[in-house]
Amino acid sequence: MIAALQRLTSLSFTLLGLLLVTFTLARLSPVDPVLRLVGDHASADTYAAMRRALDLDASWPVQFRAYLARLARGDLGVSLSTGEPVADDLERVFPATLELATLAMVVSTAVGLPLAVLSALRPRGVLDGVVRVVSLVGNSVPIYWLGLLALYLFYAHWRILGGPGRLDDAFEYTIDMPTGSVLIDSWRSGQPGAFANAVSHLVLPVLLLAAYAAGNVTRLTRAALLAESGREYVTLARAKGATEVRVLLNHMLPNAAGFIVTVLALGYASLLEGAVLIETVFARPGLGRYLTTALFAADIPAILGGTLLIGVCFVLINGVTDVCVKLLDPRIR
Amino acid sequence: MGTDRGVSVRWRRAFGACAVLGLCASWVMPDVRAASPPDVLVVAQSLDDLVSLDPAEGFELSSLEAFTNVYQRLVQPDPDDPQTLVPTLAAGWQSGPTPRSLVFDLRADATFAGGHPVRPEDVIFSLRRAVKLNRAPVFILNELGWRPESIDASLGKIDAHRVRIDWSSNVGAAFVLRILAAPIASIVDEAEVAPHESGGDAGNGWLKAHSAGSGPFKIRRYIAHEALVLDANPASPGDAPRLKTLIIKNVADAATRRLLVEVGDADIARDLGPDQIAALQGKPNLKTVRFPSAAIHYLLLNTVNPGNAALANQALWEAARWLVDYDGIAKRLLKGEFEVHQAFLADGFPGALNETPYHLDVARARAILSAAGLDHGLRIKLSVFNQPPYGDIAQSLQSTFAQGGIDLQILPALAGEVYAQVRARTEEAVWLYWVPDYFDANSTAGAFASNLEDGTKTLAWRAGWHIPQLSRETAAAVQDQDPAARQRRYLAIQAAVQTSSPFVIALQAHAQVVMRASVRGYRQGLDADMVYYDRVSK
Repeated sequence: MIAALQRLTSLSFTLLGLLLVTFTLARLSPVDPVLRLVGDHASADTYAAMRRALDLDASWPVQFRAYLARLARGDLGVSLSTGEPVADDLERVFPATLELATLAMVVSTAVGLPLAVLSALRPRGVLDGVVRVVSLVGNSVPIYWLGLLALYLFYAHWRILGGPGRLDDAFEYTIDMPTGSVLIDSWRSGQPGAFANAVSHLVLPVLLLAAYAAGNVTRLTRAALLAESGREYVTLARAKGATEVRVLLNHMLPNAAGFIVTVLALGYASLLEGAVLIETVFARPGLGRYLTTALFAADIPAILGGTLLIGVCFVLINGVTDVCVKLLDPRIR
Repeated sequence: MGTDRGVSVRWRRAFGACAVLGLCASWVMPDVRAASPPDVLVVAQSLDDLVSLDPAEGFELSSLEAFTNVYQRLVQPDPDDPQTLVPTLAAGWQSGPTPRSLVFDLRADATFAGGHPVRPEDVIFSLRRAVKLNRAPVFILNELGWRPESIDASLGKIDAHRVRIDWSSNVGAAFVLRILAAPIASIVDEAEVAPHESGGDAGNGWLKAHSAGSGPFKIRRYIAHEALVLDANPASPGDAPRLKTLIIKNVADAATRRLLVEVGDADIARDLGPDQIAALQGKPNLKTVRFPSAAIHYLLLNTVNPGNAALANQALWEAARWLVDYDGIAKRLLKGEFEVHQAFLADGFPGALNETPYHLDVARARAILSAAGLDHGLRIKLSVFNQPPYGDIAQSLQSTFAQGGIDLQILPALAGEVYAQVRARTEEAVWLYWVPDYFDANSTAGAFASNLEDGTKTLAWRAGWHIPQLSRETAAAVQDQDPAARQRRYLAIQAAVQTSSPFVIALQAHAQVVMRASVRGYRQGLDADMVYYDRVSK
């Protein structure tokens, strides 16, 4: 009970600190949010009225305190960029990011982990070399360029996959999106072809994001397994006649599991933070694009709301990761 | 050796198998894409600037374009000849009881998309809420002397079909009609908006994402930063649009917009770069249409920057005019996007000065600088937007100014940051563009050639240009009731700005729109709001 309270207190201070830093950085931005709203041609009177309406005449501590007071009532404010409540905006864009990031993480784990294990079985072998090169390329080539290339080949040239957007226009504005997940909502719509269409639009962004994430998963997992391979318990297992596969799967992998789970969790959290470039190239809504647009407009309510959501995600993922690591590794219980 | 060959053979077989599988997959994979319906027009452009679809508030390029298609005004520019105003919701007008008054007869058959008739009360409600809300574009209505405290007395219902409009500014009726043709003077349906009023906002919160107009289209759905979906309004007082639905999709990346129109999933792609336009030239299913725009691009020298006294030297202003490679930028660097234009009124505006006396002449610029003692390593910081095509323009300027002995240091920044600098007059030089707020010469002349030093932050004020006489002439021009005399005044004012100001006016933008070959009837005018989808078919 006390531990839970301590954790809750620590969590509150973490999020408060995050908000404070974000607020300060946003206020230091040279972009004038009033100009974003009233334009460059507005009269001084209109400019001053909007400044007052946004409460920007108050000192920074007063502004921050007012934000916290509203936040305590569950009010994240109204976005200057969209004119909508930030909570509504986040409810609209976050499920899209969650869907994309989760699918990308599943694919990257399904591909990256086996590749890492196979590489670790024969370090410096042919497969290991190929995997290292591919994972390095996955991490190094600009994802923006890869996205455009993939769109050109699979959408524009061969025409075998859907292109930008979440659905074709025949479906996009006729299907209700109560959950915000295009897969779930297109499935539930019952419209023939809608689900397949949604999948076809998801394949490229998911695979590209997965390729990017798999690079990290593969390289770090491989390195963790190779680090384990020099340990005494591995030598002992080999001396007792265990096969390499058995040594790897039954001895090394369980010992590296805590580290691997942490790598996966961090990768997932960074994907949730937003894949701005993928969302831009593929014209998909998402938290990354939302926050980027807000940053360019010095849209403080949207920036703070989005950052808070990301902070909560990180905290939750860290918490789940801690529990998983403790379950997997009795040494740190 | 034998093992290596074995591995090599295995890899070759594996690659071969993958290639065959890939080909088979592309062959047998069903086309998962649904065709765009024939009565739907899909437009790919950026909507990231759009903040509000309330005509009393929205002042971004995307919202202005939407207003023209969703709302109507009493009078509007003829799409095919914007210098001519045509009655739209008004059937006609005549002088009112005072010299500063007009009486408008409303069209008897005009109805809003919601089915309500257009009444004098709607006109009064729309103009009054626009003034009282006091949002971005209200300064346009303020030109008539309308203020929140006085607007009620300026508008009156005469009978069921007539409305009286008075103004207090010393301007003529022709100018007033131009103001009433601006998007902020769009007429909204009071009966539709009133139930959605909340906390005295005059329905502003609701109108941000909904419509209550009589234009050819009505808003079905607006998803912020995603799409604006419009349905045809068959009851529009003009003819009904030819297409049932208009989808304006937010596709922020220009390369993606190009792919969409190339494949056919978008019928129109706007705001493509010169490279993308060039890549699409010659494609049989596409055509590129070029429309002149009223956007004027210019260099502003901030003469009151305390860190660089040379900026106040008129010799520098003169030399700068000879150090811009006008033709190089317009005809080679950004081919198709610009034409050389050296006066503040865009070609197509009444009274535009189309003479282009300046060209790149490094020797003459060096001589001017030398005579003024400015030939000893002059450095100027140039602020520019950090997006195309401003980087290219800045580099061209940097190159030609260097030939003249001036070291231009380029400072790219977000547009919001650049505007904040200019408003605070902290920049040294800046490359900007100007788009008129309404279709009258005063909109632009009042910015470039008026600095009353009364707190109004015109462009002349931002440049620190002290011009009491020219400001008086600009004020007199707007009051002139004789159209021919007024044009002569503006020609003279433009000539003064062209030859003796801290502005180097260089280019007039042209919008290049790529569309499928089957698309017909798309019209785009000079001003930002003049985008017309009502006659489009495909």
